[in-house]
Amino acid sequence: MTVAAGIGYALIALGPSLSLFVAVISKKPFLILTVLSSTLLWLISLIVLSGIWRAFLPLKSTTWWPFALLIISSVGFQEGLRVLFWKVYKRLEDTLDAFADRVGKPRLFLTDKMQIALAGGLGHGVAHAVFFCLSLLTPAFGPATFYVDRCPQMPFFLISAIIALAFVTIHTFSMVIAFNGYAEGNTTDQYFVPVVHLVAGMVTLVNFASGGCVVGIPLLYILASLILLHCGKMVWRRLTAS
Amino acid sequence: MESSILDSIGSEIIGVMTPVSLCMLLVVLLVYSLSPSEQSLSGASDPFRTAANLVYLERPDDSSTQKLEGAVLNALVFVILIAIVTFLLVLLYYYNFTNFLKNYVRFSAFFVLGTMGGSIFLSIIQQFSIPVDAFTCFVLLFNFTIVGVLSLFSGGIPILLRQAYMVCMGIIMAAWFTKLPEWTTWALLLALALYDLFAVLAPGGPLKLLVELASSRDEELPALVYEARPTVSENERNRRSGLRFLLGGVSDSGSVELQVVSRDNADGRENHGNPEYSAVNVGTFGNEMHERSSDEVERLPLVGHLRDGFSSSGSSSDRSTSVNRENEIVMEEEMSPLVDMSLLGNNRQRASDSLENSLITDRGIRLGLGDFIFYSVLVGRAAMYDLMTVYACYLAIISGLGCTLILLSVCRRALPALPISITLGVLFYFLTRLLMEPFVVGTTTNLLMF
Repeated sequence: MTVAAGIGYALIALGPSLSLFVAVISKKPFLILTVLSSTLLWLISLIVLSGIWRAFLPLKSTTWWPFALLIISSVGFQEGLRVLFWKVYKRLEDTLDAFADRVGKPRLFLTDKMQIALAGGLGHGVAHAVFFCLSLLTPAFGPATFYVDRCPQMPFFLISAIIALAFVTIHTFSMVIAFNGYAEGNTTDQYFVPVVHLVAGMVTLVNFASGGCVVGIPLLYILASLILLHCGKMVWRRLTAS
Repeated sequence: MESSILDSIGSEIIGVMTPVSLCMLLVVLLVYSLSPSEQSLSGASDPFRTAANLVYLERPDDSSTQKLEGAVLNALVFVILIAIVTFLLVLLYYYNFTNFLKNYVRFSAFFVLGTMGGSIFLSIIQQFSIPVDAFTCFVLLFNFTIVGVLSLFSGGIPILLRQAYMVCMGIIMAAWFTKLPEWTTWALLLALALYDLFAVLAPGGPLKLLVELASSRDEELPALVYEARPTVSENERNRRSGLRFLLGGVSDSGSVELQVVSRDNADGRENHGNPEYSAVNVGTFGNEMHERSSDEVERLPLVGHLRDGFSSSGSSSDRSTSVNRENEIVMEEEMSPLVDMSLLGNNRQRASDSLENSLITDRGIRLGLGDFIFYSVLVGRAAMYDLMTVYACYLAIISGLGCTLILLSVCRRALPALPISITLGVLFYFLTRLLMEPFVVGTTTNLLMF
């Protein structure tokens, strides 16, 4: 609608992550590198997925089950990559610990590990926000706006920004939960994250129905707050226990 | 609580990636804000002929094969031109015409900042209808240019200013290059990446000769090189004022030192072909060869390689641990700061003749200005298509740069910084444009996200 509106939409999607970045991540160069590499990983996963699905696009937007298939496959692939990310992180952790020993500094603290997990999650979240929301925002800087048929209550840009915000939260904190789950061997946590991710993806299918976004978006935010609560509880437990 | 290693690992890599990212961001902004006006101007007129356009002038209505052939020819001619100029540079340097080179670089910096920077400022003023009169504009531009030329080679200029001017020159050159037609740009980028690979690594390559000459004479390279010296104390980041006091006069607070050496920046148009290379950096001490073990620790962010005391005069250098961090040195040995200061201040001092040591004294990573420029050209060209491609290319280039830096810490010699990043960037651009965009746009317009 104008530059102001465009910037507004961008900040809705990325505001919290920006504050997180400035407050926590920008102080430690290694975390910035972690954010960049996890964003890259997410981008690569997206490219691979689009490569696989390219032959079937564009999907007819009347039936919903091809989209369901798309989402299930995409979420599955990304969760698989999360396990891979964890394995790489494990080796990196060993390297860092060895380095710390060599230099005579203490090994990685628990908070350090959590910060690395947070940075990884933030990378995923920011990648999601950029590719699913920001990249389509260029017309929003112009003089007009755009409404989607299925959800005529709000401009399309606003909807995508709000959904992106929910997903950024989900991605960021589920990485913390997942890493903690893998570290502790806590299977509940290990399965919690992929399940929530899948459910969140499926919930956006509700947007398919006409007027569905009125139901879909609050559901998404319930999931996001669930993840937040769970992460908070887990972190509190671990920090007070040690 | 003791500081953990996470506080300071990776600061050198970030010290190089930040100016590169800043340069790319500003070029993208420039392209976005200036492009509407460009289209209206160049729509009807002929594209102007430059060194990159010598053979073939691309027009929108040519066929694809014509464009491809023309672009490849253009790129070839450009690369040959660059190679000739680089060989000329090596020759001049060999015969000790260093002063001539320095003055020539000063002239070319003046030219770039004044005329090309001036035309960009004029387009910005035009685009945003900024009310400023011609006389003020001229005075401001003149001041800007003169300070820029002064900041390049004189001592006593704040490092931040020097860095800022380097980034400015990179932005101006990249903004100019983005005016080239599309096929020519891509062909040019790929050709330059290949050329860079050969020029730096092949035995007869001009840049390799240049580096060897410079290191054998123990001089700085005659080139415009962005040098990100690490801060004396990483603790400055953590704001420990005590240490700042200790290391007071050595380096400017917080930021990275910069030393730009003269370089042949031929004519704004044709050069930048000396696509630079990450020069050598990262020296570790002779006795710390074991750093080079197979584990990847040391390759980690080029951490303490720098700064190791070449002070075989005791103080900080030798410790049982291989990598010394400056802050450790400072904290744990009182006398070291003084020794460090003298050594830091005098970066031309060479402890010994070995190449190893000359590597040590060149602390900090050096990245040539040509690299800045071509990364930004790639991202600028991606910006002309879509924001998604911008982000994808940005990530590709940064990861390529990261890979190159890691390789640098492994190989310890001058490496070309262009090939990996440009290849990844071009790859990701076309993958994103062809594969990812239909996918993502298809799902988001249906409000389906994951």
